[in-house]
Amino acid sequence: MKKLLFIAGAILVIILFPILNKNMYHLYLMNRALIHAILATGLVFLTGFAGQISLGQAGFYAIGAYSSAYFTVKLGMPIPVGIIIGIAISVLAGFLLSIPSFKLKAFFLSLVTIAFGQIVWMLVINLTPITGGPYGFFGIPFYSVGNNMLSFGQVFWLFGALLILCVYIMFRIKHSHFGRAMLAMNDDDVATESCGISTKRLKIAAFGFAAGLAGLAGALYAHLAGFLSPEPFTFFESSNFVAMAVVGGLRHMSGGVVGGIGLTLLPEFLRFGGWENYYLMVTSLIVIVVIIFMPMGLGPIIENLFRKIFRLKRSNTKTL
Amino acid sequence: MMLQDILQNIVSGASIGATYGLVGLGVVFLWLTISRINFANISSAMLGAYLFYTFYTMVNLGFFLSFVLSVGVIALYGIGLRAFIYEPIRKRGGGRLEFVVATLMLCTFWLNLIIVTYGALPKPFPPVFGGNKDFITIGSVRIPTLYLNIYLVIAVLMVLIYFILNKTLIGKSFRAAAQNREAAALMGIDVKVTTSLSFIMATCVVGIAGILLAPIYFVSLELGGGSIGVKGFASAVLGGLTNPYGTILGGISLGLLENFSTLYISSTYRDIISFSVLVAVLILKPSGIFNWKSKKI
Repeated sequence: MKKLLFIAGAILVIILFPILNKNMYHLYLMNRALIHAILATGLVFLTGFAGQISLGQAGFYAIGAYSSAYFTVKLGMPIPVGIIIGIAISVLAGFLLSIPSFKLKAFFLSLVTIAFGQIVWMLVINLTPITGGPYGFFGIPFYSVGNNMLSFGQVFWLFGALLILCVYIMFRIKHSHFGRAMLAMNDDDVATESCGISTKRLKIAAFGFAAGLAGLAGALYAHLAGFLSPEPFTFFESSNFVAMAVVGGLRHMSGGVVGGIGLTLLPEFLRFGGWENYYLMVTSLIVIVVIIFMPMGLGPIIENLFRKIFRLKRSNTKTL
Repeated sequence: MMLQDILQNIVSGASIGATYGLVGLGVVFLWLTISRINFANISSAMLGAYLFYTFYTMVNLGFFLSFVLSVGVIALYGIGLRAFIYEPIRKRGGGRLEFVVATLMLCTFWLNLIIVTYGALPKPFPPVFGGNKDFITIGSVRIPTLYLNIYLVIAVLMVLIYFILNKTLIGKSFRAAAQNREAAALMGIDVKVTTSLSFIMATCVVGIAGILLAPIYFVSLELGGGSIGVKGFASAVLGGLTNPYGTILGGISLGLLENFSTLYISSTYRDIISFSVLVAVLILKPSGIFNWKSKKI
């Protein structure tokens, strides 16, 4: 019942925000924040629940963005179809990347994912007939219904709905037998295998899900920005995405949302007059401090704050 | 293809590759003692290059003094890295992932600090290791003095590292702590000292690598991110993450592979080829190719 209250509150915030705030830049930023929240949610699933690491999420992000852009611009497909194709190709790449995870762990796996991200990035730069390379990919259509372009506010509602859907799917997966098997695999690989659970299948699924969310985020970004260049898909973006998941809290459903929105908006809050040069520097410093002093992440802290404000009791399942 | 071209490529590939190996050594030293990977490893290279540039070109100290000063500052940075990043995370129960993300963010922090203080444009590196047109001709192969100096510095460094690790007491305790931390602590070895030593060695070696790479890549942000760091990791992996000498060999083979793929295939796909080799090695032989001793060091 009280969980429903939370969800209703979240929906209310998403509905009210564009109505109360008409500033285009703020809305654009919030849209970017929601995209990052979707991506970070996928990473929370992959790292926090399934125990795998990926420092190449920007690769999937790029695959989703460029395939959706290619299929809508060059082949003239409608935007939803383009987005779905983007997700599908990204999920396939995720299945492929899960193969090394059967054998490798921790650092070695992260190295493979870094290499994957770099390879995708170089392909983006070098495959100019498809991606436009360093010159960029122009003229990607904006969201529209019929002939009416959506406003940034309506796009915000769309993204918010998609984010809630993603978190809900993750919630359901976590509480299915599949999710419990994944948590078991996170604790002990070998013991899970000896219980008759195929960890290979779980890893394939986890990578596929995270890659799918990253592809969705990329496709959404492509149509929001209308223009793609190789810059947002570098290794540093991948490390930012992991930072979002860790800062938000890896073991919490809200981790991706808190981290994604928080780390997208934080640099903007730091743009004081006269100090613009330093905001990226200070952002990375703040992230380091948060990681050192709050290894659990901000998600649980914010949840506790909400509990205190609304005098909710801690639920037994420790979820949401 | 002429034999001469092949020899020429071997000379240049091996020297750049050896510097990749030096970057990889930074990873190996930390892995041996604390079993963590410092993703801000390559930042030390950038800091080394910029510090040397500051001391040599801007302050006009001599080559030797600038070199010693920049390596000294980098050593201090290594101690700071341990005191302000590694220890606080360990005390608060943060795991490997926290260290990974903290060092990743440290990497962006240094990049942005350099952008703020020096600007984003690459700076020309003073020709201290020989200019573009200095070379020595052996037979029909021209060896630029720059490459000769890189070989020289790396050879001296390797002898120094061998000497420290094998002939001194602190090196002995370092190897003991690398083999078994608890047992070494029980035998009265100060593990804190060896940990600090590993941080200092890791950052210094990478800092020197940065100074050596600067004539090739300029004093630029390229040194603090991008693909050089990944190539350092790759050479460490080829050395099995535990063998310092194997790491240098791994770096050299990576450099050769790069140069010959530029020669025979295409320069645009050079990095893609070397990263694919990295993935293949990781999947097929994660214990490393140049790792002839299975135990640590």
